[in-house]
Amino acid sequence: MTATTTTTEDGRLAVPPSPEQVAIGGGWYRAGLNALTMLTPIAVIILIWELTARFSGWPAAIFPPISDIFAAIYELAREGLLWQDITGTLGRLFKSVIIGIFVGTLLGALMGYFKYWERAMVAPMNFLLAIPGTAMFPLSMLWFGLTELAITSILMYEVALTVMLNTWTGVKTVDSALIKAGRAFGVKGLGLFLRVLIPAALPSIISGYRLAFSRCWRILIVAEMLVSVSSGLGYRIYWAREFFHSDIVYGALFVVGIIGLLIERVFLRTLEVMTVERWGTMRELD
Amino acid sequence: MGELVVEKLDKTYHRREGWNTTRSLTVFEDVSLTIADGEFVSIIGTSGCGKSTLLNLAAGLDKASAGTITVDGKKVNGPGLDRGVVFQEFALFPWLTVLDNVAFGLRSKGMAKSERRAIAQEYVELVGLAGFETYHIHRLSGGMRQRVGLARALAIEPAALLMDEPFGALDAQTRETMQAALAEIWERTKKTILFVTHDIREAVYLSDRVVVLSGRPATVLLELSVELDRPRNRHDGKFQDYERELEDAITRESAA
Repeated sequence: MTATTTTTEDGRLAVPPSPEQVAIGGGWYRAGLNALTMLTPIAVIILIWELTARFSGWPAAIFPPISDIFAAIYELAREGLLWQDITGTLGRLFKSVIIGIFVGTLLGALMGYFKYWERAMVAPMNFLLAIPGTAMFPLSMLWFGLTELAITSILMYEVALTVMLNTWTGVKTVDSALIKAGRAFGVKGLGLFLRVLIPAALPSIISGYRLAFSRCWRILIVAEMLVSVSSGLGYRIYWAREFFHSDIVYGALFVVGIIGLLIERVFLRTLEVMTVERWGTMRELD
Repeated sequence: MGELVVEKLDKTYHRREGWNTTRSLTVFEDVSLTIADGEFVSIIGTSGCGKSTLLNLAAGLDKASAGTITVDGKKVNGPGLDRGVVFQEFALFPWLTVLDNVAFGLRSKGMAKSERRAIAQEYVELVGLAGFETYHIHRLSGGMRQRVGLARALAIEPAALLMDEPFGALDAQTRETMQAALAEIWERTKKTILFVTHDIREAVYLSDRVVVLSGRPATVLLELSVELDRPRNRHDGKFQDYERELEDAITRESAA
C-alpha cells in the first residue's frame, strides 16, 4: 500500500492517513474457484485410472480399479488394522522428528553464528550428507538389531542433518543490519539468538523442516519394510505383496500419500502462513 | 543530560595479508568533538570519509583504536540503551508489528509488558503513525518505515540519538517531509542528536551545528554554527550562504 502524505497549513508534521478497511477474501466465488483448481487434476487422474483399469486388459491383480482399492482400505479400517498401522507409523515419525528438529536447529544455529563451531562441523556434516539415509540401515541394524530403535535412530539422524544444513545457511544469511539493530537495542548472547537470529532465519528453517519431514517420511515407509516391526503402513505394503493382495498394496500406498499430504497442509503450511507469510518475508500468491 | 564528547578518536582497520604483512587503513586520526545537551549536530563530508564509522563507534557497535567517546560522562564501551540508533537501511524486524518494533528496546529495560506497550504507543503516535500499530513492516512505505525506526530509537528514551543517513534511502519528496517531521519531533523532545548525512541542504536545515570531516584519515575540517531561526526556509539567502560555505569546504577537500 502506498501512503500519500498530507501536510498541515504550515507544511509541518505530515501524517500518513489512517488505514482504510480492506476487505480480505472473495467469498464463495474464490472458494469455488480454488476448489475447482485443486480438484480438477485429481478428477482427471481418477478418470484415466478407471478407464485404464477396466479397458486395458491388464489383470485386476496388477491394475485394480479404484473401487477395489477403496474396498481394501475399508476392510483394513474395519479390521482395526488401518488405525494400528497409522498410529505405528506416525508414532515413529513423531518421536524422530521432535528430537531431530531440536538437535538440528540447535547445531545449525550454532554453526551459523560461531566461526569455530562452523569450521569444526562443516566437514563432518558434508561427509554425512553424502551418505544416503537408507544406506545407513545395515549399520543401525548391526547396532540395534531388528528393533524399533534401528528405524527411529536413522530417522532422527536424517532429520537432524537436514534441519542442521538449512538452519545453518538460514542463520548465516540473516541481514547483518538486523543483527546490528538487535545489538544496538541492548540484545546480546542468547537473547540475540532467540529474538533476532531465529525469527530472521525462519523462512530457511521452515523449508528445512519441510524437507526433513518429507525425507523422513519416505525413509520411514521403506524402513518398515526392511526391519521387522509388527505394524505400520510400510509393513502393511510389504506383507500385502507377499500374499499377492495388490489392492491392499495400492490402498496402503494411497493412505501413505494422503497422510503425508495432510501433515504438509495442516502442520507445515499452517506454520508457514502464521509466520513467514504474515510477516511478508514470503509472498502470498494471490 | 545528553552530552556526547568525542576525544582524540583514532580508528585503524588492520588486515592480515600474507604471512607477516598487515595492511592498515586509518579512518580517523585525532577527531575531537563536543555535543552539548539538546544540540542537533550534523556530520558531513566526502563519500567514504568515515562518517558512518564515527556513528558506529559512538553507538558502541565497533571499538576505537584510541581515544574515547563519552555520553554523560560515561565511556562508551559497547552498545547501550543510553544511545538510540536510527539506521539508513531501516533495519526493522519484519516478524514484529509496528508497535512491537517500537517496543523492542524496552524489553532490555526490564519493564512489564503493559508498560512497554503504553510507552511504545506514545511514540508511535508521536511520529504520526497512529492507527498503524498492528501493521507488519512490509505493508509500509519507506517514509513510514523510517518513522518506525525513529520511534524505536526514541522509545528507549536515550540520552542521545545517533542517526546514520536516515533519509538516504528515501525519495526526495519523502525526504523533505521526514526532515520537517524530525525537526518538529526534535523541538518537542529536545534530544541530543548526532546526525550523519551527505546532503548539505539537509544538514543546514536541521542542525544547530555542522561538522565537516576531511577525507581519510579524517579529522575535523570545519565546524559551522547555523544561526537561523526555525522553521528554516531552504530558499532563504542566508540559508544558501551556509550551504555554499559548506559546499566549498567539501569541494576543496575532495580536490585536495
